[in-house]
Parts: sequence; C-alpha cells; structure tokens
Amino acid sequence: MTHPKAQANPLMASHFLQGRRHLLAGSASAVAAAALGTWTRPAAAQVKPLPAYVSWKDANSLIVHSSSTLETRRSAFGTSLITPAEQLYIRNNLPPPDASIVADRDAWELSVEGVRNPRRFALRELKSMGLETVAMVLQCSGNGRGFFPGKPSGTPWTVGAAGCVFWSGVPVRAVIEDRGGLAAGIRHMTGTGGERLPEGLDPKSLIVERSVPIEAMTDALLAWEMNGVPISLAHGGPLRLIVPGYTGVNNIKYIRRLAFTTAETDARIMSHGYRISPPGTQGDPAQPSVQEMSVKSWINAPSPDSAAPTAGMVQIHGVAFGGLSAVRRVEVSVDGGKTWRESRFVGPDLGKYAWRQFVFAARLPAGSHRLASRATDMAGNVQPEHRLENVSGYNNTSWADHAVTVTVS
Amino acid sequence: MMAPVHAADDASGLALGRKLFKGGAIPACTLCHTLKDADSTGVIGPVLDELKPDAQRVATALRNGVGNMPSYKATLSDDDIRALARYVSKVSGAMQGAAR
Ligand code: HEC
Repeated sequence: MTHPKAQANPLMASHFLQGRRHLLAGSASAVAAAALGTWTRPAAAQVKPLPAYVSWKDANSLIVHSSSTLETRRSAFGTSLITPAEQLYIRNNLPPPDASIVADRDAWELSVEGVRNPRRFALRELKSMGLETVAMVLQCSGNGRGFFPGKPSGTPWTVGAAGCVFWSGVPVRAVIEDRGGLAAGIRHMTGTGGERLPEGLDPKSLIVERSVPIEAMTDALLAWEMNGVPISLAHGGPLRLIVPGYTGVNNIKYIRRLAFTTAETDARIMSHGYRISPPGTQGDPAQPSVQEMSVKSWINAPSPDSAAPTAGMVQIHGVAFGGLSAVRRVEVSVDGGKTWRESRFVGPDLGKYAWRQFVFAARLPAGSHRLASRATDMAGNVQPEHRLENVSGYNNTSWADHAVTVTVS
Repeated sequence: MMAPVHAADDASGLALGRKLFKGGAIPACTLCHTLKDADSTGVIGPVLDELKPDAQRVATALRNGVGNMPSYKATLSDDDIRALARYVSKVSGAMQGAAR
C-alpha cells in the first residue's frame, strides 16, 4: 500500500517550489508555507543567498537548504546528461577547508597506507602515474529523504541531491601497483578527508573517514578534474576519492589519506552514521551501511516544478541509473502506476556508472495526471514501488514517491 | 497543535532552553551551531537562524542524533529536550508548534 501522504508529498513540495519563484524573502513565503500545511518545512521557504564558497553557482537552479546543503531543482536538470558544476548539489559533512588548499593544487599531499611500500605523494606525482575518466552519478545517501512521511532528521532532499558528472584522475589500482601491491589481509579501502576539525571535540566523532569494500577499488579514481576543470573546493578539490556506484559520502573530498585496511574505520560517521536503522532504533555498527546505490529513476519534466503542458503530445523525460549495474530499461506510467509502457533512451551511453535519459511521448488530455517511471538494471533488479523505511531516510528509490502529478490545461 | 502556554512558564522554559543550549547540554550546542540569541558562532552544523527548525525537527535531531551531531537521548531528560526544542524554534523564528 502506498501511504496517502507519500502520494501527496511530491506535489506539495513542487507546488511550493513553484510558488517560491514568485515570492520574495520573508513573510510572504512563510504564509505560503503555512498554507500548504505541516509537511512543508518553513525553513525551505526562505530565500537564502549562496554561501561564499559556492557564490559561483547558479542560484536559480538551486534550493539552498543550509550553507552546507544545496539541492538542484527538478526543473533545472535539462536533457544534456551531464550536470554542470554550477547546478550540481552540495552536501558537506563539515565546513570546507580554507580556499588556500586550491591555490597550489599540485602541492597537495596524499598519504598511501596499507600497501607493501607506503608513501606520501604530491598531487603533481599522482598526475604522472595514470589517467582515466569516468562519467558517474553522484548522489547523496539522503536523496529522496523529503518523501519520507516521518520527517527524518537531515536535509529534506527530493530529487536534486544528485547529478551526473565526469571525473578524471589516476586509477587507484595504478597507485597500488606502484606501491608493490596491497599489504596482507586487506578487506577495505578507507579514505580520510582533509577538513579542519574543531578543538574541544573528539576527532573520531567528527572526522570524515569512510571505508568501502576492497572490491570497490577496481574502478575507483583519485580525481583532480570534474567536468573539464580542476575540482572546485566545494566539490572536494584539489583531490577527491571517486568510488563509482557508491553514495556521495563515500567519495571523500580533499582526501589526505588513502589506507587499505583490514577493518572498517571506527570513525563515528562510519560506525554509527549512514546506517540503515530500522524505525525506532539508533545507528549502530551491526546495521547495514549506506554504500552501493541501487536502481532508480525519476521524471524531470513535465512536473509541477516546470511550466504546465497543454493538452496533446507531451515528451515525458527523466533520468535512470543502476548504481553498480547499468540500467537496462525504463517504463513510464501516465496513470499512477496502473499500466506501464516502455520508454526510449536518448543521448549517448556514458557507461554503467552514468545515468541515462529516457523519454516517453504521450498524448495527454486536459486534466490531472500522475506520471511515474520505473527502471530495471542489467541484473534484472526492478525499481521498487515502496521505500525501505529507515530512521535517517536513506536510499529512497521508491517509484511511487518519485512520481509527479501534473495538470494539463 | 500547540497547547496554550502560560506566559511565565514560557519565559522560564525559554530561559532553561537557552541555558542548556549554551552549556547545560554536553557537548554544548554552541560548539557546533550559530544561533544569534545564544551568542554562539559554531560552524560545524547548520546556522540555526537560517535553518529555522520547528520544535519537532529540533526534538527529533536531539533524540536520534543526525549526521555528525550526537544523540542527546541518554544525557537530556524529555523536559530538557522539549525546552531546547521550544527555545531553538522560537528564537530562530520558526513556525511554532509543540514538540512531542
Ligand atoms: C558536534 C557538533 C554538534 C553539536 C554539539 C550539536 N550539533 Fe546540531 N548539528 C550538527 C551537524 C553537523 C548537523 C547537520 C547534520 C546533517 O545534516 O548531517 C546538525 C543539525 C542540527 C539540527 C537540524 C536537524 C535536521 O533535521 O536537519 C538541529 C535542529 C540541531 N542540530 C540542533 C542542535 C542542538 C539544539 C544542539 C545542542 C543540544 C546541537 N544541535 C548540538 C552538529 C552538532
């Protein structure tokens, strides 16, 4: 059964976004939020300026939730596959380091441990050791949290904590090879971020340090370039660990240590954070960790967030990806999921870690229509109708939650 | 829905919330958050004056923890959590409603 509230959520959120464009800051938007009832959070109604470290982003494409969480608007995704940096979402677990770290990028240092011959490398040296480019869906673990009716703590993202971007860097395999191979008994790849930690608090409780299974190393990169330019500070420059198919938090920004380890790190962000905690429990190391992404799709247009279509032919389009597996097909429904039709992929196939765009041409009469998309990956996994309930609102892939109601005039 | 609150109770509840925010809760909220009313300038978590969380959102975060923020379930009483939730939502300018 689909929760009735869950059905209403996307619509309410989107109406509200649409309203936002026509409102200025302050009391008018608070009134608009109030009129929509309790689900819409008043915080999101404030029009906030872009924080300084992302002042170069396109404010019209973004929803500013807080200074460290910015979401791409559903209507801003466009149909050119790759998400421009100016539109890409931001989610930082700690404030970014000082901008001085991107002043002399080549001097940035990375310590490589858990190999036969551990060593520190300057970025300049890493650049001489190999080169690969991958197109990859970068998606926050909490993307879709805003559709959980229980209002989990954290940013209520809907679809925009995701993007598809190019990364270039040296394959992690090449670095391991250069160091004589892995040390014995290694089971994890552990990355540590270079954020400055505040005084007076236990570093382990704050440090951004995550472990992924060692197999993830095969396609991982130490990247210095995103979408054709050196990685901005906001997105983890000068050097970021890229683990294709894994949620955003596993792609360590400003990486300063890459360690191959026998156990997962005991940093709190790993041991208790980013766990799939059943309702009524708190995060603990026995629960599944939020790591690999799974098959998901959503419609970007038409949606209540973009201009209302007029009766007749409508090109329904969106994005689909499989996480670790390429996406094979996307079905579209114009009747809320009762019947499904095959959509068509458009644009180039940028590899299994990228998203694909789908389009379905439908003749829609005037009236209200519930549009949904449902993806299947190469392994045969089908995007589920329902989200997996969990305390923190992670990994929402529900097609019902991501469906949109549009009014055709 | 919010039950009517007696003005004097409200003032002492807000004073308690402020005290907890500034150090009664351990670790102190001030270490990580900016909140003008509490003269705090922490930068680890969101600026609460901008986030304007309603009381329910504050209480949920305090009970379960969120991201890099610890849970206060074991160290704060339910009354303390309610006082903090009311205080933060009120002084940050969020819409008012009671925390459960
Ligand atoms: C160790 C640092 C730290 C301390 C201490 C701390 N917080 Fe937080 N807080 C954070 C961080 C980081 C976030 C953002 C978490 C995320 O979104 O991943 C946060 C988020 C929040 C939120 C927003 C929750 C949501 O739903 O998005 C509220 C409200 C909040 N804190 C209130 C408090 C109060 C009240 C206290 C004191 C009792 C407190 N915090 C103490 C770091 C801290």
